[in-house]
Amino acid sequence: MSQLTVDSTATWKQRLEGRVPPHLDEEIDIFETQIAQKRQGKIDDKVFAETRLRRGVYGQRYDNGQRHDGTASRALEYPCGDLTKGPNTVWDAPGMLRIKIPFGAMNGEQMEVLADLAEEYSDGIAHVTTRQDIQLHFIHIDDTPDIMRRLAAAGITTQEACGNSVRNVTACPMAGVCRDEPFDVSPYAHALTHFLLGHKDAQDFGRKFKIAFSGCAQHACGLANMHDLGAVAQVRPTGNGTSSGTERGFKVYVGGGLGAVPHQAKVLREFVREDELLPLAQAVCRVFGRLGEKRNRARARVKFLVAKLGIEEFTRLVDEELAILPPDDRWSAYLGDLSVTDEAPTRPAATLEAGERPDGFAEWLGSNVQRQRQPGYVAVAINLPLGDLTSTQLRALADTTRRYNGGHVRNTVEQNILLRNISEADLPALYAELWEQGLGEPGASSLVDVTACPGTDTCKLGISASRGLAGELRKRIATSIKTTGVLADEAVKDLRIKVSGCFNSCGQHHVADIGFYGVSRKSDGRTIPHFQVILGGQWTENAGSYGLAVVAVPAKRIPEAVERIAGLFVTEREKGESFQNFIARVGKARIRQLLDDLTKLPTYLEDRTLYSDWGDPREYTIGDLGVGECAGEVVTAVEFGLSAAEREVFQGLLELDRGAAETAAEKAYAAMLQAARALITTENIDIGTAPEEIVGEFRTRFYDTELFFDPYAGAKFANYLFRIHGDAETDSGEEAHRRIEEAQLFIEAAHACNQRISELQAARVA
Amino acid sequence: MDMESAQVSDLDTLVKFDLKVLAADAAEVVAEEFIPVFHRWITERVLPELLIDVADYSHVHEGPGVLLVGHDAIYAYDLSRGEPGLLYSRRHESGAALEGIGSLDDRLRSLLECAFRACDLIEAEPNLSGRVAFDRHRLELRVNDRLFPSDEATAVTLAGAFQRALAEAGVRDGDAPVEVKRIGEPRERLTLRTG
Repeated sequence: MSQLTVDSTATWKQRLEGRVPPHLDEEIDIFETQIAQKRQGKIDDKVFAETRLRRGVYGQRYDNGQRHDGTASRALEYPCGDLTKGPNTVWDAPGMLRIKIPFGAMNGEQMEVLADLAEEYSDGIAHVTTRQDIQLHFIHIDDTPDIMRRLAAAGITTQEACGNSVRNVTACPMAGVCRDEPFDVSPYAHALTHFLLGHKDAQDFGRKFKIAFSGCAQHACGLANMHDLGAVAQVRPTGNGTSSGTERGFKVYVGGGLGAVPHQAKVLREFVREDELLPLAQAVCRVFGRLGEKRNRARARVKFLVAKLGIEEFTRLVDEELAILPPDDRWSAYLGDLSVTDEAPTRPAATLEAGERPDGFAEWLGSNVQRQRQPGYVAVAINLPLGDLTSTQLRALADTTRRYNGGHVRNTVEQNILLRNISEADLPALYAELWEQGLGEPGASSLVDVTACPGTDTCKLGISASRGLAGELRKRIATSIKTTGVLADEAVKDLRIKVSGCFNSCGQHHVADIGFYGVSRKSDGRTIPHFQVILGGQWTENAGSYGLAVVAVPAKRIPEAVERIAGLFVTEREKGESFQNFIARVGKARIRQLLDDLTKLPTYLEDRTLYSDWGDPREYTIGDLGVGECAGEVVTAVEFGLSAAEREVFQGLLELDRGAAETAAEKAYAAMLQAARALITTENIDIGTAPEEIVGEFRTRFYDTELFFDPYAGAKFANYLFRIHGDAETDSGEEAHRRIEEAQLFIEAAHACNQRISELQAARVA
Repeated sequence: MDMESAQVSDLDTLVKFDLKVLAADAAEVVAEEFIPVFHRWITERVLPELLIDVADYSHVHEGPGVLLVGHDAIYAYDLSRGEPGLLYSRRHESGAALEGIGSLDDRLRSLLECAFRACDLIEAEPNLSGRVAFDRHRLELRVNDRLFPSDEATAVTLAGAFQRALAEAGVRDGDAPVEVKRIGEPRERLTLRTG
């Protein structure tokens, strides 16, 4: 036996001494001290919550110490007792750690560290998010400082990954190899990431701030239109065209965002030179920090400030800030070395010669491989199911990339991983390796490559099981393709499906061809998980337009809905017609009619399957409502009223479709009034129909009492009604679009409020 | 302190282990079938520890399959290396059932108890109707903490302790202790395998 030399006194801090950058080392030490202080009760819950969020240490479902097991809500007796890590958040409850991966770029060492951490502290899975981050789940807060140190030693930080801060800066994953870009945006994304990380002008926001870079305007790329700040690469002739040279710059957008009510970004600058980009971003941060909403989180994103001020006034304020910014060498220092993010090929360029191919190679080549602008090289997408890969796969991928491209990958916003600078001649061998690792699935960025946020699997805000639905759709689409079913048709091959577990749009459902977000409906005294069907969104042109909800369908019937919608497109589309144009032509009324029978709800005794969600056998109910054996379908007056409100808002959708913005806005307002009135009837059956009376009664009975308040969004949805009531008329298409969205969310909130009231009544009876 | 006592003392502080019991026969079972089973274990508090949630990774190639996440440990119907089995991954030792563990030998005995108890429950699970069985002689023990070196000396010490724990648990090769050997690459976590 050889002698054992275990040093059990070593800690990760000691082990990594000298390998963690000093500023991160200090930052992590501070956090570790704050953890100790919180354990001793020396830090306020809210302060500590924001402190950990700014380090990427996020909450996870059931961290309030309660879990509903399908029949009753039960306490989870964590050993920590009363110790909390934020308001209503138990210390010992597992949490999520969000790890920033700027523009999705990872090297081999970083992949290996992430693989190690996923095994030791998480569940063996690294999850690629829709913003190019990596997330680890089921993490204990006590482990986070060591995780941060190990990441920092590999050049990764979780600093400002969550909280009211500048989040991960994203960029087109093809940056540097794309055939359509004027130049590589990667070094600019890198520079802005490091410039704003911990910057004093980016520490006083009311909400998060998201930045994206795109290499071109026409593709989805960085999705610049849906970000707080978006930069699209441009070049223009120098000297107003008087010389033969060109200069680099960006078209800069501001105030975009998805969330509950999406906003298209506005153009802040048609062109800013590369040396003007960082100060411009800093000036925007200063305006946002100074004037952005702080008290009402629901209206604290930049998009609301831009909408409130107008883009002209916002631009003027940014110009004012720019004029008084103290000069900073960092604004242009990075321009001296733009090669900092370069990933040079390590294998010689060579074309793919004819020869024997592994099984499945041709299909994979067609769907997962794109030519680069560099001749002889291609970019290869790895189609990750639900954005997940194991530690074993991540480690194997690190090895593979080292052999083929020097060990570099980019995470994509479609929750995949991209290998760039692959010599074409290496493709058969690379495919064989990836297949062996379980990473060779075809269909990247196609119909089968469904995107989903975590939803009810781990997210505290999830309403429906977005991952469960996405997984089911992947299976069914794959089967349909193999059996040449309707989903195998070439017409639907490249459609995008995106699923969010709630209205917050982390799954980016607004920019999908077919999007879904989780809602619930009540029937037979129980609650049924549903998804709103969103159609008409545009993925290309940097998320060029947003879709709108058509109808809510029970979760278990969504696969059938997808088949019907796809089938209609396959059979009735005109030659060359895009899906978006097709939806606009046939109209949402037709789609609603197509899905109408799917919305009819069976009683619990007739079909219990609808009363649970995908991948979760628990009965989907909240509360302990008792149901008699002989109970039939009971629809209360309030449910009728809410149904009428849904019809009204749908009419508004149709008006919007035909360009009647003013009427659409009126319908949205009327729908909100109907929903509010429906709720009021539970307390005052004699309520009239005058808007003033409805809004007044609603305020007294549901707003002042906070009965209508969403557990997480608070007064947000109620305020939609008050705002539209105070400013009912508009003829702006964009504003009408927004009001339709708000009306839909108001009605969803009314459904949720009605459920809460029912539960309270049932509890009183019990 | 002599070298032997130093070894024991150091490894006594190691809490995080994975223990996998490989399936003897699982051809008729798919991982998703464990989702309702594990949910029921939470609801009925089948195990004497805090169970929190179920996670489904059955869509991932040779992944962790379906997980039952507890505070002290994760149980999984694990599919890694293409070899289905029951994985018991210990993270903490806070529960009453794990009180009093002070040494490596105690800990290994406790790991085997917890993993075998889960195997017994799964084999008796009505919803799986006897379609999965575990081979308690085919085990993998892994150190899930990279602060501890993955070297030969640690492997030898751990293998000896593991053999003793197995013998106490009745896992023998006739009258002889079961053979324990090291598998995997040096950069991987230290892993021992029986049989």
